[in-house]
Amino acid sequence: MNRSVRILLAEDNMADVWLIREALKRQSVECLIDHFLTAEDAIRAIERCGADGAAPPDLILVDYNLPNGDGGDVLAAAASNPHLAAVPRAILSSHLQPHERDRISSLGAARFISKPADLHEFLAAVGATVNELVRPPST
Amino acid sequence: MTTATHTATATTPGLEPVKLLLVDDDRDSLLALQAILEPLHQDLLLAESGKDALRLCLDHEIAAILLDVRMPDMDGFETAELIRSRKRSRYTPILFLTAYRSDEQLFRGYDLGAVDFLFKPIVPEILQSKVSVFVELSRSEQILRRQAEEIARTEAQFRAVLEAAPDAMVITSEDGSIELANSRVDMLFGHPRSALIKRNIRSLIPDWEASSQESLASPESRVTAVREDESSFPAQITRSPFATKEGRFITTAIRDATDQVRAEVRVRQINQELERRVTERTAALTYSNEALRQFAWAASHDLQEPIRTILSYSQWFAESNPQIQSQREGQMLEIIQQQASRLFRLLAALQQYIQVAESGESHWTPVDCNAAVEAAASNLSGMIQESGASIDRAPLPSVMGTEVMLVQLFQNLINNSIKYRSPETPRIQICAESNGAGWTFSVRDNGQGIDSKYFGYVFGVFKRLGVGQAAGTGMGLAICKAVVERLGGRIWIESMPQPGTLIRFFLPAEVNP
Repeated sequence: MNRSVRILLAEDNMADVWLIREALKRQSVECLIDHFLTAEDAIRAIERCGADGAAPPDLILVDYNLPNGDGGDVLAAAASNPHLAAVPRAILSSHLQPHERDRISSLGAARFISKPADLHEFLAAVGATVNELVRPPST
Repeated sequence: MTTATHTATATTPGLEPVKLLLVDDDRDSLLALQAILEPLHQDLLLAESGKDALRLCLDHEIAAILLDVRMPDMDGFETAELIRSRKRSRYTPILFLTAYRSDEQLFRGYDLGAVDFLFKPIVPEILQSKVSVFVELSRSEQILRRQAEEIARTEAQFRAVLEAAPDAMVITSEDGSIELANSRVDMLFGHPRSALIKRNIRSLIPDWEASSQESLASPESRVTAVREDESSFPAQITRSPFATKEGRFITTAIRDATDQVRAEVRVRQINQELERRVTERTAALTYSNEALRQFAWAASHDLQEPIRTILSYSQWFAESNPQIQSQREGQMLEIIQQQASRLFRLLAALQQYIQVAESGESHWTPVDCNAAVEAAASNLSGMIQESGASIDRAPLPSVMGTEVMLVQLFQNLINNSIKYRSPETPRIQICAESNGAGWTFSVRDNGQGIDSKYFGYVFGVFKRLGVGQAAGTGMGLAICKAVVERLGGRIWIESMPQPGTLIRFFLPAEVNP
């Protein structure tokens, strides 16, 4: 891996941000995380992507339960930005109601990651998803 | 000398014989008259003098008098004059008997009110036929008098009934003209009764109409009635027509309905008040139901998040500090993890319970219970392998519901059977039999069994039996009950002769074709 993976992360729970960082570290994924605490901030960042010539992130990782909107709104913003068409998106949540799950699949989330209570399960779930969705650039 | 001959019973039934007075000073003539009139079967009173005749006239109601003109002391005319002078006999027909055809006698006789003259010698047939006429006349009069008495009696009865009626009663012709009214009409309307006769009943009840039915009393109707002082009041009227030879009449019973109307208004007010309270109460209940639902959702979902974090971090902390495992702090951390983990499972169960309760019928499809049992067994495969449990499933039907609900139902039941097993290897038998509009399922095990006094208790939310079963949330059977009841069925526990538990539940048959 000759460069870092860039991840746009929308997550309001700092405890989970730490866990996600730990999961990436254990996968030996060198990463650069743009972290937003609210849906609003994440959406604003997503709308700017590509506009100023900056490279788009390699992965968009969104928690469903966010303040000032929700993960669905963030996914919708990503889906409407053509610069992000090729960027995989995943949603994190401990639990989703059926209608929320339907909405998320319609918004093009490639993966739904449940947040397990067990530390190892959590780290494994996040790590596996990142590994799978972000093909490290060939050396 | 006077005698009375009582003859045989009268020829006309119900009519008494009439009394005929025969007056002649000649006893032979008297007996001859008696003999001639005997066949008429009437009461014959005999008098040999005018004086005797007068006395008999005083004592008896006499239909006709045969009076000899020529008598000593007081002759026939004098006797007739005295008879006529008495009130009782003023109109009693008198036939004079005489041997002489003299105009002077005739005039005097007719002048005294004689109705006829008979000339001696008496021709029996003529005498009989003339007297018969008077007998008939008297009898007709008797009949008329009785009829008049009967009519007077009936009318008195009728008036008594009319007066005794609790309502004001008005009898009118079909056009409403008042023929008769009872005294309650005076009281109710303030009109003197006499003033009402021949007036139209519509002056009392403007909306009055003749009853449309021929003979049956029409149902009660509510109208407005007007008093003499032109004030009005609500009245309840009942009309019943009756036919006479003079035409159809209508009896209208009128009752003041003021109190009734007041009571009705009160009842309506009370009903409205009740309705308002029910609406308020329903709104309050709906509100508290919604509040409860939101709370339950928050409790099960939002509370789960921090606990998940506590679990992850306590685990992380323990792994980052392996040196404390053998210390007191290590045990404390373990207790924190155990309790957080238990709370996490309780909330997950509560969440399931709420999802069941909110499952909408529109998402229901026929679900194959065989597949549901297999899926449940697959979810519990670790537990089943570990305990060596066997599941004996007879062919099961499909029922309406969601797969998630039915898998959950069977999974909780199998889970309980294994969790509360006896020292024996768990054996679980599942079968269903058709029962009316649906299916009765049986899930039978050879486990510890449940005391029959807890048969209802165990279906309650967070209800557990015994201690030290940290694995139980107390939600398993509560969720089963919620599923079954949500699907329109019911669930219960039955006693078994052998050890173990038999849980049965009824589910309606699938309705889709």
